[in-house]
Amino acid sequence: MVRFKNRYVLCEVLSDDPRCRQCIEDRAVGLAVRDAIGRVHGDYGLACCSISFTVKYLNAYTGTVLLRCRKDSYRLLCSALPFVRYLESRAQRYPCALNTLHVGGTIRTCQKFLIQYNRRQLLMLLQNCTNEEERQCIRKSLLSCSLTEEQSQSGDEEDDDGTETD
Amino acid sequence: MAGFADLNLPQGPDKKSLQSLLEAAAHLGYSAVALNHVIDFKEKKQEIIKPVSPSELFPSLPIVQGTSKRIKVLTRLTLVVSDPSHCNLLRSTSANIRLYDIIAVFPKTEKLFHIACTTLDVDLVCINVTEKLPFYFRRPPVNMAIDRGIYFELLYTPAIKDSTMRRYTISNAISLMQICKGKNIVISSAAERPLELRGPYDVANLGLLFGLSESEAKAAVSTNCRATMLHGETRKTACGVVYTVKKPRKVEEEETTVPACKKAKTQA
Repeated sequence: MVRFKNRYVLCEVLSDDPRCRQCIEDRAVGLAVRDAIGRVHGDYGLACCSISFTVKYLNAYTGTVLLRCRKDSYRLLCSALPFVRYLESRAQRYPCALNTLHVGGTIRTCQKFLIQYNRRQLLMLLQNCTNEEERQCIRKSLLSCSLTEEQSQSGDEEDDDGTETD
Repeated sequence: MAGFADLNLPQGPDKKSLQSLLEAAAHLGYSAVALNHVIDFKEKKQEIIKPVSPSELFPSLPIVQGTSKRIKVLTRLTLVVSDPSHCNLLRSTSANIRLYDIIAVFPKTEKLFHIACTTLDVDLVCINVTEKLPFYFRRPPVNMAIDRGIYFELLYTPAIKDSTMRRYTISNAISLMQICKGKNIVISSAAERPLELRGPYDVANLGLLFGLSESEAKAAVSTNCRATMLHGETRKTACGVVYTVKKPRKVEEEETTVPACKKAKTQA
């Protein structure tokens, strides 16, 4: 059977300005990425990439974005992501940068990668903790990662050998 | 696999901005960076100062994301040469030059490019990306540079900032690719602010734009950078008499070792 194959690109939004977190929305990010593709690859690139282009998942607290595009044009998309310089929403413009974390064929692989990545981030936060209460909080969240089928943020309790998928 | 490295972080006078740059680089996954000190001979005669040791500048280095090691900071010197007499500085036995880990040269004319590829004792040859190249690359000096183990460096931050720079960057890069077939390329940023840095995966994708194949682009960020750092180290051992080895635990110890494990490349 002929099936449309997609690629899911997992990125992280990095910025200096704390107010930038508020304006991370799917429309703003989608517009910024499309604009970057248009600037770098022109009309042809923009048209190719926007065949099945959406922002599938967005987390404003951690700045994680999951984009989808067709398998044939994912290279155009990935090569244009470094050129995103600012996010614009509600007439506010904030400088930012996108860091690609993982490119996967399904949402599930990206979810698995994100779980490992967040676990590593939590461990690093644990090192820099100053407060005993914060430590307890982080330890609890690390241990209490429970597998629920419908949520996309929680981890699962497999053993911790994180293989690098990057 | 070799860790990712970014070999060009301009060294400004501000310590705090350097610290934030280092933290951004460590967060993105770079295992090694090089602080770049640029010497331009067009201005009044400048002295080559001793490189500031990174351990003095930064009391605590951030940990690289994804590993548990600290980021490695090297020192690098870039000479912008527009006249053959400027190259004499490299041949002189000035002690300060030897103290830098990596030495790069930025030739402005065709003759200097030829000299840099064939005879000069450098690790990197920078390719101008901010303006149209005044000369065309020719095959003989490029092949000689590849044999000697010299790498060509391309910057990507001007491409991110400005659209005309982007065109010059891509056209210069592609013309270089056509001559050297994608070997011996190093892509680095010249980022002055942490937001201009891009992660190694993104930089490898930029390499695809410049005409590299996917494996060559990944090598441009990892393996070739490691080879450049090793080339810089062999320069230290072959020319110096004392080879200082910093052991990870005892920092102040100096010992003379015969560099049996490092093959010194033949010097011109």
